[in-house]
Amino acid sequence: MATHLVSVLNGLAMGSLLFAIALGLSLVFGMMDVLNLAHGAVYLVGAYVAVALVSDGAGVAPFVLAVLAAAVAGAVLGGLLASLTRATPHHLDQALLTLGVALVVGEGLSLVFGNDVHSIAAPEPVAGGVTVLGETYPVYRLLVIGFGAVLAVAVYVLVERSPLGSLIRATVADRAMVAALGVNTGRVLVGVFAAGAALAAVGGVLAGPILGAQPGLDEKVLLLALVVVVIGGLGSVRGALLGAVLIGQVQALGTALLPEYASFLVFAAMALVLLLRPAGLLPARSGVHA
Amino acid sequence: MSPLLELRGLTRSYGSLTAVDGVDLTIARGERHALIGPNGAGKSTLFATVAGTLRASSGSVLLSGRDVTSLPEADRARRGMVRTYQHSSLFLGCSVLDNVALAVQRVHRVTHRFDRAARRFKHTEAEARRHLDSVGLSGRAQDKVAALSHGERRQLEVAMVLATEPALVMFDEPTAGMSAAETERFVTLMERLPEDLTVLIVEHDLEVVFRLADLVTVLHLGKVLASGPPEAIRADDAVQRAYLGSARTEDLFTDAGGPR
Amino acid sequence: MKAEAEEIRGGTPALKDSIPVVDTPAVGGADHPRRRRAVVTVGVVALLAAAPLVLAPYPVSAMTRMLAFAVLVIGVDLLTGVTGLPSLGQAAYFGAGAYTAVLVGIHITADALVQALAGLVMGLVTAAVTGWVAVRARGIVFLMLTLAIGESVHQVADTWSVVGGSNGLAGMPPISLFGGPSLLAAGFVYWWVLAVAVLVFAAVALVARSPYGRTLRGIRDNEARMRALGYRPALARYGVFCLAGAVAGIGGALWAQQARFFSPGDMAFEVAALALLSVVIGGAGSLWGPCLGAALVLLVRDNLSASIGGHGPLVLGVVFVAVVFLMPRGLAGLTGGRLRVVTRARRRKENPS
Repeated sequence: MATHLVSVLNGLAMGSLLFAIALGLSLVFGMMDVLNLAHGAVYLVGAYVAVALVSDGAGVAPFVLAVLAAAVAGAVLGGLLASLTRATPHHLDQALLTLGVALVVGEGLSLVFGNDVHSIAAPEPVAGGVTVLGETYPVYRLLVIGFGAVLAVAVYVLVERSPLGSLIRATVADRAMVAALGVNTGRVLVGVFAAGAALAAVGGVLAGPILGAQPGLDEKVLLLALVVVVIGGLGSVRGALLGAVLIGQVQALGTALLPEYASFLVFAAMALVLLLRPAGLLPARSGVHA
Repeated sequence: MSPLLELRGLTRSYGSLTAVDGVDLTIARGERHALIGPNGAGKSTLFATVAGTLRASSGSVLLSGRDVTSLPEADRARRGMVRTYQHSSLFLGCSVLDNVALAVQRVHRVTHRFDRAARRFKHTEAEARRHLDSVGLSGRAQDKVAALSHGERRQLEVAMVLATEPALVMFDEPTAGMSAAETERFVTLMERLPEDLTVLIVEHDLEVVFRLADLVTVLHLGKVLASGPPEAIRADDAVQRAYLGSARTEDLFTDAGGPR
Repeated sequence: MKAEAEEIRGGTPALKDSIPVVDTPAVGGADHPRRRRAVVTVGVVALLAAAPLVLAPYPVSAMTRMLAFAVLVIGVDLLTGVTGLPSLGQAAYFGAGAYTAVLVGIHITADALVQALAGLVMGLVTAAVTGWVAVRARGIVFLMLTLAIGESVHQVADTWSVVGGSNGLAGMPPISLFGGPSLLAAGFVYWWVLAVAVLVFAAVALVARSPYGRTLRGIRDNEARMRALGYRPALARYGVFCLAGAVAGIGGALWAQQARFFSPGDMAFEVAALALLSVVIGGAGSLWGPCLGAALVLLVRDNLSASIGGHGPLVLGVVFVAVVFLMPRGLAGLTGGRLRVVTRARRRKENPS
C-alpha cells in the first residue's frame, strides 16, 4: 500500500511538471498550428539555468532566482521562436525552423555545460523527507505537486474566466474570425508563445532536483509533452492537465512495476486514446484536424 | 423503372438551424435539373448532403432506387454520383493530365498499381487525353494546373468529372466568378454533354439556368417552393415574390464563388 | 517564384494542415529529356561504382554510410514529398531493420541478401503495426504522431535487453554474398550497398511515376477531392506508410552491415530529423535532390564535425533555419526555377488580367 502511495505521489509530481511544460506546447499548437519542436530545448535551458545558479546545499534564494532567470530566458526564447515562425506561413516550415533552433540550442548547451550528467539539489530547507503513511517522502516533490495544483487553478481562472482567456480560447477556435473582428491576434500569439516557453523553462528548474540536466533530456521531455498534448486534445487546457496527470501516473507506475517497458507503456496509452478518441480526451475544438 | 435520384424528406440541421427541411425531389435519367433559390436557401447544404460530403439529419437519398444515405462520399462517387465545388477544387501541384487521369484510373481500377510507370497504362492515358480533348484542353496536358486560368480550371473540372463515368453530375455554381465569354464557353460545353447523363446544377445566373435546364426546382428557406419546367417557374407567383422579384438586388449581393 | 507559390497555396480551399505544395519533376514528357536523364543516371552510377578504385578505405566507408542513409531518406521523401506526410518517425523503422539484420547476422546467416530482406520485412511489419495510428492524421499532427512513435520505439530499444539495451548490439560477423567468402574489404561492402541503394532508388522512382504515385500526389494536393472522385485515401496513405517503413528497414540493414554494430543512438530523434532535413535541403518530391541532401548532411555530421569540436548538429541546426528561409524548394528547386519563370511569363501573356 505504502509503495503504491509513493508511486502515486511520484506520478503526481511528474504530472505537475508535465502540465507546466505541455501547456505552452498545447496552446501554441491550438492557437497557431505551430508545432514547437524547440519546446524541449527551452525546458533544458531552464534546467541548465538551475545548474548554473543553484549550488549544493543552497538556500531558497538562489532557487527562486533560478526560477525567475529561467522564466526570463524562456520568454525571450519563446518570443524569438514566435517571430521566427511568423516569417513563414507554412506549418511544416515552421516546425522545421523550431527543429533547427532545437538543434542549435541543444548543441549550444552541451558546448557550455559539457556532456556530463548534472544533478541539481533541492533548496536546503525542503531537501529532507517527511513521513507520509509510514513512508519517507521528499518534501520537495510534495511542493512540486502543490505548485502543479496552484498552476492548474491559476491557468483555469486565467483562461476560462478572464477576458484575455476568452480571447485565447476564441483564437484556438477560429483564428481568422478573431482577426476579422479587429483583434491583433499577432500580439496575443507572441504573448502566449513567450508565456508558454517561460513556463517550460521554469518547469526545467523545478524538475532539476528530480530529473537533473543532461544532453538528450530535451528530446525525452519533448516527447512526453507531445504525448500529453495528443492525449489531452490539442489546444485544450483541461486536456493538458488530464493528459499530464495520466502520463505522470503511467510513467510512475511503469517505472515501479515494469521498468523495462515504461516508455512502451506511455506509447501504448497514447495509441489507446487515439484509437478510442482520435481528437484526444478533452478536445478544444471539434473537426478532423483538431 | 425507378428514377435516377430520389430524395425523400431529406433534412439537414446545424443545431437549431434547419438548412434543408424535408426536401422531396425526383430526377429522371438524362434530365437536366436546376436548383435555384436566394442566398441562404440551403442549396449548397442540400448539394453536400446529396453528395455525401455532409451527413443527412433525417430522410433518405436513393440512387437508382437504392438507398445510399448511409454511404460515405467516396462510395457514392463509385456508384456514379459525382460533384464539383463552388470554388474549383483541383490538384494544383499536379499536371493537367494527371488531374483527369486520377479520375480515369479510379474507374479503371488501377489506383494502387505500382508495377509500371503511369504512362505505360496506355488505355488509361488515352482515355484521360480523350476527356481533356473533349473540353478543349489537350494542348495543356503537361502544364501545372496552377498555370490555368479560372475558366480553364472549370473546363478541367468538367473533364475530370466526366472521366469518372458518372450517371449523375452535380455542378455547384459552375459559372460563378466567370467572365461573360467564359460563361458562354462553359454553357456551350454543358450543352454538348452526353444525352444520357443526368445533371443537377445549382446556379445563380438565371439565364444559364433557363438555357440549360429541363426542370427547375426553387428552394426557399430549406424547403421546395416550386418545381417544374422553366416556363412554369418563370410564371409562378410565389417564385416571383420569393426570388425573381428580388433578382436584381440579389445580383448585387451574390456571393459569387470567384477566386479569392 | 515566391508569389506563384503563394498563389498555389491560396487557391487550395482551407486545408488547415496543408503542407507546402511541392513540385514533382515532370513525369513522362517528351522522349528527349528522358533519354538525357537516363544518360545522366548511368553516368552517376558509374562514377559512384568507380569510387573504391581511387579512394582510400576510410572515405569509402563514409560513402557506404551515406548510401545507407540515403535509402532511409528516399523513404522519408516518398512520405513527405510525394504524399505530403512529413515524418519524423522513420528512424524507428530504420532501427527495426538494422537490429533485425544484426540479429540475423549473429544468429542465422552472414548472407547479406537474407539480412537485407529480413530488414525490409521487419521495417514493413513495424510500420504496419504502428502506422495506423499515424495515418489517421495529416500535416503537422501527422508529424507530431510520427515523432512520438519514433521516440517511443527508440526508447524501447534503449531499455530492451534482447537488443542490448543502451549498449546496442555488437559482434555481427562480416557479410558474405551467395555463400561466398566474407566481404572484409570496404570496397566490396560499398559495392553491395550501392547496388541495393540503386535498386531501391529505381523502385521508389517507379512507384512515384506509377498510377499509385499519382494517387499519392492527389492525396497530397487535395484529399477531399480524392474522396469526391471515389477514392479511399486512408488505405493509400497506410500503404505508402508501410512502403516507406520497408524502405527504411532496408536502409537500416545496410547501415548495420557496414558498421557491424547498432545502438539506440543510431536511431535517435536526431537521425529522423536529419533525414527530414536531407529531404528539405534536397527538395521534397524530387528523388535525386534528397539523396544529395543525405550525402551533404552526413558529410557535415560525421566528417566536418571532427574539425569543429564534434558540434556538427550546431551547423545542421543553422542549415535547417537557413534552408527554410533561403531555399524553400531545396536543391532540386534551384534547377527547376528557370522553367517555372518561363511558364509564368507565358501565362501572363495569355491572361493579361
